[in-house]
Amino acid sequence: MKIISRWFFIALLPIASAFAESSETVGHIQTLQGQAFIQRAGTTLPAAIGAELRKSDQIRTGKPAAVGIVLTDDTTISLGSNSELSLSDYAFEPKQSKFALSLKMIKGTFSYITGQIVKLSPDSARIQTPDATIAVRGTKLLVEIKD
Amino acid sequence: MGQQYAARLAGALRSKYQCAAWLVSLPLVLAACGGQSIVLMADPGGHVGQAEVVTAAGKQRLEKSGDMTQTSGEAKPPSAVKTADPAYIASTFAEVLAIEPPPPQVFTLMFESGTTNLTTASLDQIPNIVAASQKRPAVSVRISGHTDATGSDKVNDALSQERAMQVWNLLQQKGIPARLMSVTSHGKGNPAIPTPDGVAEPRNRRVVVIVH
Repeated sequence: MKIISRWFFIALLPIASAFAESSETVGHIQTLQGQAFIQRAGTTLPAAIGAELRKSDQIRTGKPAAVGIVLTDDTTISLGSNSELSLSDYAFEPKQSKFALSLKMIKGTFSYITGQIVKLSPDSARIQTPDATIAVRGTKLLVEIKD
Repeated sequence: MGQQYAARLAGALRSKYQCAAWLVSLPLVLAACGGQSIVLMADPGGHVGQAEVVTAAGKQRLEKSGDMTQTSGEAKPPSAVKTADPAYIASTFAEVLAIEPPPPQVFTLMFESGTTNLTTASLDQIPNIVAASQKRPAVSVRISGHTDATGSDKVNDALSQERAMQVWNLLQQKGIPARLMSVTSHGKGNPAIPTPDGVAEPRNRRVVVIVH
């Protein structure tokens, strides 16, 4: 009984750690359909509504699947089926005038709605696609990247 | 094993055929197989900003809602801007648009001058914030303290931090789980009404609660 409960607890750790908010939290998963995954430092976590996200996380959706993400500056990114996104760089500390947002859209379909980083410091934000860099000022973008 | 191979081959041929079918049936869209499309849209508030798409070979600027450019490799410039076919948007981005999180609910709270006491009007907002967090249900409740651009940064920051903590305390007492909430101070760095340094603006001395 003791051994079973210990392994049960250990099995829950990845799920629990997916919700724990820390100073490293850059955003959360807000909406989800189907299966999606968060790849972080060599581990793969299942995505769940409410799960926190960190810098350098890679988010991947299955097929069919879709996920909506909100960052701490209110940037909103949605992914359709079979899509992949990397949160390459992120900083939102207005008091220190520290702003950075770099998203890498690797493949799939995306919607991107800018947040406070773009409002306060538009030059600090960029989107990277396989072919291009996109600089945005206060708006919404739809991006499709075909395999 | 042979069956698997045949199935994969059929799949690859089918997607290639589909690719060709796209090019033939939608000449206006010119969907480059393996390429990328970027479309500018109005944000949920109806505002259209701009975007600049840059490859190693050139750039294009998107300025109106529906403006679209396409890329096909970094060695070529992005295509001339055209208007995206609404049918293309509806079919390609249906999933993405359906899953888009709703805009946050934003509450601005004011305090009695120089204190950490909420004004009566702002106190009345506390139950509304709790209700909003439960109704969504919220994945995050972010509390940020703000100052204006006058006086000592140190004093202002300390006060705005205390005020934000006061709001955190109240919200926690009223039932919002601590794990949903975060508290930061933006100092004068994120004003509601931008002013030059040294200019007093009481409307900037606020605590903002954003419920996602």
